[in-house]
Amino acid sequence: MITPLLEIEDLYAGVAGKEIIKGFNLTINEGEVHAIMGPNGAGKSTLSNVLCGKQGYQVTSGAVRFKGKDLLKMSIEERAREGLFLSMQAPVEIAGVSITPFLKHAVNAVRAHQGKPELDTMEFIKQLREEGRKLNLDADMLKRSVNVGFSGGEMKRLETLQMRMLQPVMAILDEADSGLDIDAMRLVAQGVNSCRSEKNSMLIITHYQRLLNYIVPDFVHIYANGRIVKTGNKDLAEELERSGYAAFVKESK
Amino acid sequence: MSRLLQEAALAGEDVAWLKEYRGRGRERFAAQGIPSAKTEAWKYTKPNMFLQNDLVYQQVVDEVRNRPELPFETYKISFVNGIFAPQLSNLPPKIEILPMIEAAMFYPEAQALIGKLTDTTKHPFAALNDAYFNEGCYIRLEANTALDKPIALMYHTTQEARGGMMHLHNLIVLESGAKAELIEQHSYEGEVKLNYFANIVNEIRLETKAQLQHYKYQNEAFKAVHIALNVVNVKSGGIYKSFCLQKGADLARNETQVVLSEPEAEAQVNAAYMMNGWATLDTTTDIEHTCEKTFSSQLVKGVVGGQAKGVFQGKIHIAPLAAKTQGYQQHRALLLSDEAEVDVKPELEIFADDVKCSHGAACGQLDAEQLFYMRSRGIGEEEAKAMLIDAYLDEVIAKVDNEKVSEWIKSLLKM
Repeated sequence: MITPLLEIEDLYAGVAGKEIIKGFNLTINEGEVHAIMGPNGAGKSTLSNVLCGKQGYQVTSGAVRFKGKDLLKMSIEERAREGLFLSMQAPVEIAGVSITPFLKHAVNAVRAHQGKPELDTMEFIKQLREEGRKLNLDADMLKRSVNVGFSGGEMKRLETLQMRMLQPVMAILDEADSGLDIDAMRLVAQGVNSCRSEKNSMLIITHYQRLLNYIVPDFVHIYANGRIVKTGNKDLAEELERSGYAAFVKESK
Repeated sequence: MSRLLQEAALAGEDVAWLKEYRGRGRERFAAQGIPSAKTEAWKYTKPNMFLQNDLVYQQVVDEVRNRPELPFETYKISFVNGIFAPQLSNLPPKIEILPMIEAAMFYPEAQALIGKLTDTTKHPFAALNDAYFNEGCYIRLEANTALDKPIALMYHTTQEARGGMMHLHNLIVLESGAKAELIEQHSYEGEVKLNYFANIVNEIRLETKAQLQHYKYQNEAFKAVHIALNVVNVKSGGIYKSFCLQKGADLARNETQVVLSEPEAEAQVNAAYMMNGWATLDTTTDIEHTCEKTFSSQLVKGVVGGQAKGVFQGKIHIAPLAAKTQGYQQHRALLLSDEAEVDVKPELEIFADDVKCSHGAACGQLDAEQLFYMRSRGIGEEEAKAMLIDAYLDEVIAKVDNEKVSEWIKSLLKM
């Protein structure tokens, strides 16, 4: 049976009084991987920020349901605890907050919400180190402050590590490949792919088709002028790579 | 005559110099009065707005029911309602520690030093402290001695002391090469709105190559007024290093005056303060470099919420002869609400050439991007804020050398 996980219905939203998302519709069912591709400035990040509840973004109309519940009514942390995760395009540095306790708080907050017992520290650290190793983030790095002094690639691997630890049912990857060399991209893709399951879904927001060679989507959507203008399978991404966005953008006007 | 000057039955009134000493304190306090916005050194702090209740000088002996203890081993000198409590004290062996009044009456070498570092014509509360000179302690470490544990000065106030005032004067002398750690804790029990006035003067003398680490935690009741003056003289190669965390009281001032009086004397004066509600917390420093090759550094960080007010007044004075001197000062504050306020007055007076000096002050808010990031990982808003505040203060707590003390301080950082 197909169960919808995330349903976005005729969404209009913007930031600082400027409407950016204009009549956006998308349904993601359990186990599906969707990719949204669009030109720079199309408002791809606005979409991920609205879905995660970032302050400053206003929804003017439309509805978003996550696991059948009204997502827009939830606080930022509630969304995360319900199983929504955003791998950010430009993660912020948090000097003085080290990764290990930070992630332990996060994991336990999510577990508490789901009625699971807290992980004890030893168990948590063991798990963290194991996952870290797979992403080539060693124990010393996990003692550092969140994102402080991290290269672009290290940040993306850390985002992926957090995703692995938090085990979201719905992960949004916002430009997860920007700044990655080919080896780092493989690592990130491996981490992301290992989160795929019949129950878990993903929304990959990207400018280039490259990442989609590693994380193969079930659906590809072209996003322009605030809404989806064309939907297809992974072949659409390849077509886009060859022909560019211009034709689609023009079509949508 | 101010209502804070009252008749008091104090020991040693028959000792001529003591009587005169107290009398001089009364006169000098009467001449200055309670400072207000018109008094430059107190213009942000305005003690006259806080000392309006009818405070009574009283000596209330009471049992302690619930005093927070330190989570590590120390020697202890306890005061309850401003009165020395021997039953709660645990004095180190072989060290000269005496109740102040005893030292004043019977120890000529202590007597010769009392009040000598403090200019009571310029500090009304130090003058008032002299007027009631009686309580406190005298600590002296002989040359080249060190203690195996810190000495904790535990000040505790109970409900019985409501509406009272207490004036304590400590004299701490470290002879050449002596080393010690001193911890001050100011606590209370019972109702949080307890009102009282604690007025404390510490005179600290560090002889050649003596080292003192001075830690303080001020957590007075929410209606209390706490005024503390630390006057420190550091001689050649001596190091005075202090850290003060202020959290409590309605009005509190921790003032540290250091004179680096010989070459290679050093002072590090660090502090953190955090409060909500309506409190005013003042950190005032005055570092005088009177001699060449002296060093001082200050880092003060505050977190202010509600309608509270932080005050930082920091002065570095470098005398004409103090060449090759270094003096550094930094104050930073985090404002958690629109109504929170911080007043900052840095003063650098440099009369020598060939010195290195810097100062800086900055105020900011919690970073919205950081909060969003943390919350987007499932961490609740309040917890995320607390983590960011801890991270903010981490830089200054890292200045605390004793790991047990820094762990303890970290455990106290709840707003």
